[in-house]
Amino acid sequence: MKRLSDDLMSILVRILIGACFFFLLAPLAIAVVMSFDARPYLAAFPPPSLSWRWYDEFFSSDYYLKGLWLSILVSGLSTAIAMVSGVSMAVLVDRTYFPGRSLIVSLFMAPLVIPGVVIGFALLLFLSKIGIYDGFWRLMAGHILVAMPYTFRTTLVGLASIPRSYAEAAMSLGANERQVFWTVTLPLAKTGITAGAIFAFAFSLDDASLSMFLSDPKSYTLPVAMLSMMRADFNLTIAAAAVVLLALTVIIIILLDLTVGLERVLGQGLYRG
Amino acid sequence: MDAVELINISKSFGPIQAVSDCSFNVGSGEVLSLLGPSGCGKTTILRMIAGFEVPTSGRILIAGQDMVGRRPYERNIGIVFQDYALFPHLTVEQNVGYGLRYHGAPSAEAHARVSEMLQLVQLEHLRARRPGQLSGGQQQRVALARALATRPDVVLLDEPLSALDAKLRLELRAELKEVLARVRAAVIVVTHDQEEAMSLGDRVVVMNAGRLEQIGAPMAVYAAPATRFVAEFVGRSNWFSGTLSDATGGKASIVCAEGISVAAGTRGLTTGTQHEICIRPERLAVHREPPATAPGRVAFAARVIESMHLGPDLSIVAMMPSGKRLLVIEKNVGQFLIPPGTDVILSFDAADAIVIPSAPTAAS
Repeated sequence: MKRLSDDLMSILVRILIGACFFFLLAPLAIAVVMSFDARPYLAAFPPPSLSWRWYDEFFSSDYYLKGLWLSILVSGLSTAIAMVSGVSMAVLVDRTYFPGRSLIVSLFMAPLVIPGVVIGFALLLFLSKIGIYDGFWRLMAGHILVAMPYTFRTTLVGLASIPRSYAEAAMSLGANERQVFWTVTLPLAKTGITAGAIFAFAFSLDDASLSMFLSDPKSYTLPVAMLSMMRADFNLTIAAAAVVLLALTVIIIILLDLTVGLERVLGQGLYRG
Repeated sequence: MDAVELINISKSFGPIQAVSDCSFNVGSGEVLSLLGPSGCGKTTILRMIAGFEVPTSGRILIAGQDMVGRRPYERNIGIVFQDYALFPHLTVEQNVGYGLRYHGAPSAEAHARVSEMLQLVQLEHLRARRPGQLSGGQQQRVALARALATRPDVVLLDEPLSALDAKLRLELRAELKEVLARVRAAVIVVTHDQEEAMSLGDRVVVMNAGRLEQIGAPMAVYAAPATRFVAEFVGRSNWFSGTLSDATGGKASIVCAEGISVAAGTRGLTTGTQHEICIRPERLAVHREPPATAPGRVAFAARVIESMHLGPDLSIVAMMPSGKRLLVIEKNVGQFLIPPGTDVILSFDAADAIVIPSAPTAAS
């Protein structure tokens, strides 16, 4: 009886996992295939023949290329800045105990739960008020603001998992606080920091709701370009653009995972318990 | 000059008094065990010597220098943590060598010192491993090598063997003792295990509730505990309480409710005062036949209510007619285990009785 219910359960779980994969991957697969559609007009799936035409179109469009370039620039820069500031903040919060500490932590997390449109609109008003009208700097400000909770949070979790005795052992051996940070704390929190950077970058690359408010005609990201093209001239260049965006994300994740992943392989059993 | 000197050290955490007015010193090359139940303040003392906690009052001297206001890295110390705290991202070699770069050792010298230390703990063959790939015992030895590598004035060991299983603990205890004997530093071992404290320490400090109860050589602490707490914490004990009879004649005895009286020395004992008598279980004898009376031997009847074989020892619990239970440990020399229900005679040598004045109950 027990065996039977266990078997049933395991079958059910497998079906569920299968369904998740299907609904996650099928739309992506369709978009990828459609981006290679040889027909010059938007028509039903599947395409009768394949070509690179939409990619040619994408890479010869100044409008898209500008969006792509700015996306890479804003995502890269804002992730780097969010990483440095998020890590510093996390180290500070992790080390010190003060009243209202948890309040500060939740405050830092706020951009994650406040809708992007709200942040975008509020930030637009605020930045105009303090005299920042340039689209690029507005985008940077918005992306850093929303990327930082990721780097902050994952670093904080990474730091919390390091036993306090490690830092104490290092200090007893003669390392001062700064040396302890560089030789013990940072190497051990690296996985958390990198995870945060991946999340931050993926968010930044993908964001449309926030960026829509902060873009201007000269400075816009790729997702914003895709949205406005969808209104103006809906064709499969958007599918090609989506695939480029997807490829970019995948490349970054693989790159980052490779660096951290390798490290983890070298340090077998690094995270016991 | 002592390597470590604690002078009237107190520490409170808010309303909690963790350590009260503790003073002791440890010489170079000496091993001092700090023994007490958990929460007695022994770890707090260790952390204050290391510089992780600041004493509320009192002074700590290391190699004659006042440590007040000095950060841990400004003290020449080595610590073996309870969880070893080996850096998981570094190899055994890098762990042991970690402190040397902060002590200004040239790299060739540091390399030689690391090899020397690994040799000392017999782990040379594992120098390229990471802590995660080592057994508990090996990790413990790496932690020891790392703590000794910088030639500290003081070596602090916080429950160094508690994370190991019982059999390995005995092996490593012997090994640890051997290594510590070669160290010129003052060594302080914090432990709640009385066997560990007695076997490793040249002297033992027994602590209770933030206070020092007794300092002395292991055998002295065991044979002549200063307080009931020490007697009960170090080893096992049977207790009688009684009143001191007339002490004027120089030959006083303590008369207990059970009809036993024990001759006591008269080191300033006052007539009529309450005293506790402690008899170690291995100093009680069980007689299957009524024994011949011997001078100085106190004998009384009891009934065996529990008897157990422990391998090298036999453990017998006997009850006196008054209902008092006594524990007896006999060496296993092939004798029969006495079945429960047997009436026996128990006896002890009056010289083996440890007399401790009763703590005034009103004050406690």
